[in-house]
Amino acid sequence: MKSFLTIIKFDYLQRTRSYAFLITLCASLAIAYTFVPEPNANYSTIRISDYVGFYNSAWFGYVTAIMTSVFLSLIGFYLVNSSIKTDVHTKVGEVVAATQVSNFKYLFSKVLSNFLVLLTIVGMVFLMSIVLFLLYNEGFPLQSLQFIKPYILITLPGLFVVSVLAVVFEVFFGKYSVVQNVGFFFVFMFLIASSAKTENEFAVDLFGSKIVLHHLEKTVGAITNTNETTFTNIGFVLGNFNKTNKFEFNGIDFPTSFIISRLLWVALSIGLLFMVSFVFHRFNIKERVSVKKVRNINTQANNIQDISLASLPKTQINYSISSLLQTEFLLLFRKGKKWLWFVSIAGVILLAVLPIQTAHQLVLPILWFLQVSRLSNLTTKEVSNNVHYFAFTSYKPISRLFVSQVFAGVTLMLILALPLIIRLTVLANFTAAISVLLGGLFIVMLAVTFGIITKGKKLFEVLFFMITYANCNLITFTDYFGAFKHKPYYVTQLFILIIVLGSVSFLKRKHELNR
Amino acid sequence: MTLDIKNVSKKYNKNKYGLKDFSIHIEKGILGLLGPNGAGKSTLLKMIATVNKPTNGVICLNKNNIVSDPNYMRKQLGFLPQDFGVYPNLNAYEFLEYMAAMKGVGGDNLKPRITQLLEGLNLIDSAKKPIGSYSGGMKQRVGIAQVLLNNPKIVIFDEPTVGLDPQERVRFRNLISDLANDCIVILSSHIVSDIDTIADKVAIMKNGELLSHGNQEDIIQNVTDKIFETTIAKEDLTTFKTEQTVVSTSRKNNQLVVRYIANFPVANAIKKEANLEDAYLYLTR
Repeated sequence: MKSFLTIIKFDYLQRTRSYAFLITLCASLAIAYTFVPEPNANYSTIRISDYVGFYNSAWFGYVTAIMTSVFLSLIGFYLVNSSIKTDVHTKVGEVVAATQVSNFKYLFSKVLSNFLVLLTIVGMVFLMSIVLFLLYNEGFPLQSLQFIKPYILITLPGLFVVSVLAVVFEVFFGKYSVVQNVGFFFVFMFLIASSAKTENEFAVDLFGSKIVLHHLEKTVGAITNTNETTFTNIGFVLGNFNKTNKFEFNGIDFPTSFIISRLLWVALSIGLLFMVSFVFHRFNIKERVSVKKVRNINTQANNIQDISLASLPKTQINYSISSLLQTEFLLLFRKGKKWLWFVSIAGVILLAVLPIQTAHQLVLPILWFLQVSRLSNLTTKEVSNNVHYFAFTSYKPISRLFVSQVFAGVTLMLILALPLIIRLTVLANFTAAISVLLGGLFIVMLAVTFGIITKGKKLFEVLFFMITYANCNLITFTDYFGAFKHKPYYVTQLFILIIVLGSVSFLKRKHELNR
Repeated sequence: MTLDIKNVSKKYNKNKYGLKDFSIHIEKGILGLLGPNGAGKSTLLKMIATVNKPTNGVICLNKNNIVSDPNYMRKQLGFLPQDFGVYPNLNAYEFLEYMAAMKGVGGDNLKPRITQLLEGLNLIDSAKKPIGSYSGGMKQRVGIAQVLLNNPKIVIFDEPTVGLDPQERVRFRNLISDLANDCIVILSSHIVSDIDTIADKVAIMKNGELLSHGNQEDIIQNVTDKIFETTIAKEDLTTFKTEQTVVSTSRKNNQLVVRYIANFPVANAIKKEANLEDAYLYLTR
């Protein structure tokens, strides 16, 4: 037992003692700050028709617990879904495989470590919710139970299951990060979309939010004396200028069946992990190249021959970036599995044939999101593949290599969006066509900037995922490709944002090279 | 062709130096860099290769300060780091073409040169296979090939023989000797035998400082008349080690033959001819 706890402890320390985790924690706090809008804010997070609760302990506790449950389940998966991969990469896995630790014990330690990482974030958000309560206080007393109860019953079980799912996805799709990323996206969408109306159905709601929302709707329904279904918003809805009414919310007495269901979710996920442990590879994994190809290589064909340097053909100086560009394209093309290209091609066809609004608002962001691992790899692959000694000592690495990486990424995005750009141009909707061009440039610059700043892929992947999720929910604020009606200075804003990102990434990379 | 390193320091924090007030003048030929782990060899090589910048001091290649103008070095550099990676989805041809593009090398002769290098490094049969499927030794040979893509005037090899078998090491040494006719080669290694057979000059480092620099004979001079060999019982070795600097031991007739460094020999000791390894151990003890 002691050794098991030691594994968890050091795994947790290893993951939290990183710059990326610090950034994630800061980003989580920034997001948590918005969970309960300040009294004069022009957005809402949870709103039932025109009603929101008085800012008492229960409202703060339940709202932040629900928002944390939904949003951290969404992004948390992407934060923790590389724990086994790290062990593969660092070869620690091979050492673990040679010890007595059982598959289940190892996987369970990874789950608990994942959960602890998420719990750290939850802890910070929890503290933030109390601070916000004290800041926005409307004269209500601080009732600690109203904060603790929803977090324990709503947030934590859901996050535990997400921690398990992250490990399960890694076991099955460890080599294919795209399958993990996109696969979980669809699992999440399915789980969040399922509607629950009865007590039994609340039990299958992983995020535990439906029971609270149902209770809120019933309370508001009683106030307005209407049996009609009230319209509930959850998420960030901007532009709520209508005056809201207030009602008193004093928390929920959760039915026993709901409490048991939360425990069942945890138990079932552990059961799933136990079953998965039987098929865990235990680091006996093949190289990414097929066995057939490996077999053809005679690794024993050794011996350096006598090389006559004088007889080597003389090369010439060539500082053009065309060869670099060509290889950057090749690296983008070969990144990921072939089936992803088939899906992408299907997306390109849909851009050409679907009604233009659907193509622009829904197909384009999803098609671009499918390229997430390609984009996140653009400026991080030197370090992740340990090629940085060559890349950073190349001739003019910024004006040649960096530029070719950005150019390759933008070209890929624009080639994928080409049918839409042509259709918009034919329809003389030049603003939208330019917005798509700028959108491609924006998302590439975002990938490049976050990759350079964090020296990793995670933060961009999580952010891109959240943006795409918001795009799919038609939230105009996150529209970076001009799919909705915007104010006249939208294109200028987008352009300025690109310039800012470009400048930050350029300066940061230059700083890195100088150091 | 000269490389001047003047008063270079690399400071990591208030009390920790990677390199401390290091100065050396290097000319055409092979410089062997020896030192224990943490001596600062890799730090020095990375600064010469323009990967890192010194905290203080200047590094001049042909009187051009490469700290302020790294591209002057990069144009004529061949660098094989100790621990490097590859893009696993590219084959050897593609990877080397990419490396050539990064170095600013091209022209009609690039492909024939790559082919010839791959032939010379015995990689031609697997040149169209993804590098991800290569063995450690094969990857090391790809690394050697990329060094030779341009006509480097300064070549840096950091622990280059890792992954090479004994036969390959010999051929690799021949290659380095060939290279050194026309440029500066800096070769770092833990293995003294890799250095002593080919290095024109040797530099010995410890704790970020230069302990000794010169021809092998000059360095060996430090331990002339100080190397002895004696035979002792196995159980006496621990005590012997506390009193003398032991270079090596070998078994003979159930006893131990001990080679050691001392100003005055113990009884029955035989004086031996000193070599570079003795000098290295003497200086870094």
